[in-house]
Amino acid sequence: MARPHIEPFCDRDTHFKDMTLPGFARGMGYKMLSFDVDTGACSMTVQLDGGYRQEPGFPWSELEMIVIEGELKVGDRTCRKGHYFFVPAGYCMPEISTDQGCLVLMMYNTGEPSHEPANEHHPLAQVGLYHDVDSYMDIPWAPGNVAKPSVASGCLIKLLNYNPISHAMTFLYCMTPAFYQDNISYHDCAEESYHLWGTSWMMQFGEIPTGGYFWRPAYINHGAFASEYGCIALGRTDSKLFNHFHYNPWTNPTENAHRSAARLYKRDPLLYKWAISYDHNHPHGPEDFEDTMQRRGDEQGHDTKHKSDGKRHDHWHGHHHHHDDSPHKHD
Amino acid sequence: MSFKNLFIEHELTPEVKQWIEQEIAEQEERFSTIAQQMDDLSEIREKWYQEFFDRITTAGFNEDGDMKVKIKPEDLPVKPEGRKDQVIWKYGVDSE
Repeated sequence: MARPHIEPFCDRDTHFKDMTLPGFARGMGYKMLSFDVDTGACSMTVQLDGGYRQEPGFPWSELEMIVIEGELKVGDRTCRKGHYFFVPAGYCMPEISTDQGCLVLMMYNTGEPSHEPANEHHPLAQVGLYHDVDSYMDIPWAPGNVAKPSVASGCLIKLLNYNPISHAMTFLYCMTPAFYQDNISYHDCAEESYHLWGTSWMMQFGEIPTGGYFWRPAYINHGAFASEYGCIALGRTDSKLFNHFHYNPWTNPTENAHRSAARLYKRDPLLYKWAISYDHNHPHGPEDFEDTMQRRGDEQGHDTKHKSDGKRHDHWHGHHHHHDDSPHKHD
Repeated sequence: MSFKNLFIEHELTPEVKQWIEQEIAEQEERFSTIAQQMDDLSEIREKWYQEFFDRITTAGFNEDGDMKVKIKPEDLPVKPEGRKDQVIWKYGVDSE
């Protein structure tokens, strides 16, 4: 079921709640923006009170953060507004503190918020994926044409994180004053946005102000778009972003998904026919031999790079299992 | 977002499970409020749709970037009979 469609929502309309989950220090308030009912993954506006101090440790989930206001100290470093962090699950962060208090957007991508006190990384942590950057000062704005067809000029981006496998992205985007784009869009991926500053408008949902937020499942119409005075926001997708533009405001998600499939059929007819006609539409996706082929370093035929969303095992490790309630087989 | 392989299995305490249940319940309330607010926008949204049609038939439809194409009035879509103007879809294609 994942996360429901939350659009629009403004965190300024609600109060902070005390974070009571084990592991977190006192002085942490949060406003829940969206919550995955299956995994506990969520996005939150977090307020850390002046004097807050979090001992070193790691999250069990992948975590992304960006400082919205104030100063956050990470170890000896002072990180200011716009500082972005990508923290892999199990990656041990140094002490986190703030002298005067700060506001942070926290996104736990694969599980509920967690903090396990530790002084070293978890053995399963993919340490090399960690990165952080001052996104306001150290990355230039680029045209928003990362996807074709693209947004109109006046919508600019800064890419913060990119998944080379799924093409999922995290990025800052801004709309210049008087920006507008006259089309309706939908995507084959979920999309999320938090307005760090400013107001934008969409034809379906009206205005999204500072602190405005949405989590939108795939295939839902949004747009036309406009921003009178400009805005800056953090955006994310959970897989490849493709802009399916059209001008029919009355289509529903199923019709939009059918149109996506029809466009795939027109563009890649052989692949489409192979996937659909020969029952190769395995629920976890077709097998990629680069994920499954036996390698010299494998141990007893198991892929040493186990991939899991944490809720079910994958089938890419050299042999098959069968769940009692599974409708698919591997004949 | 979501590498999907970046999760480490761990035990959830009863306290954490209770927190999760509470958040799910509160999210249901938020969702209902938003769905109602968006239903309440239907009347003004009809006006926005008409203004959109006016613009794309005169100034043009953004086909790709700044490339604009004027849509012929006869090519504008017709609202399917009996279809409610719905913009919130709880779980996208899975909500129908």
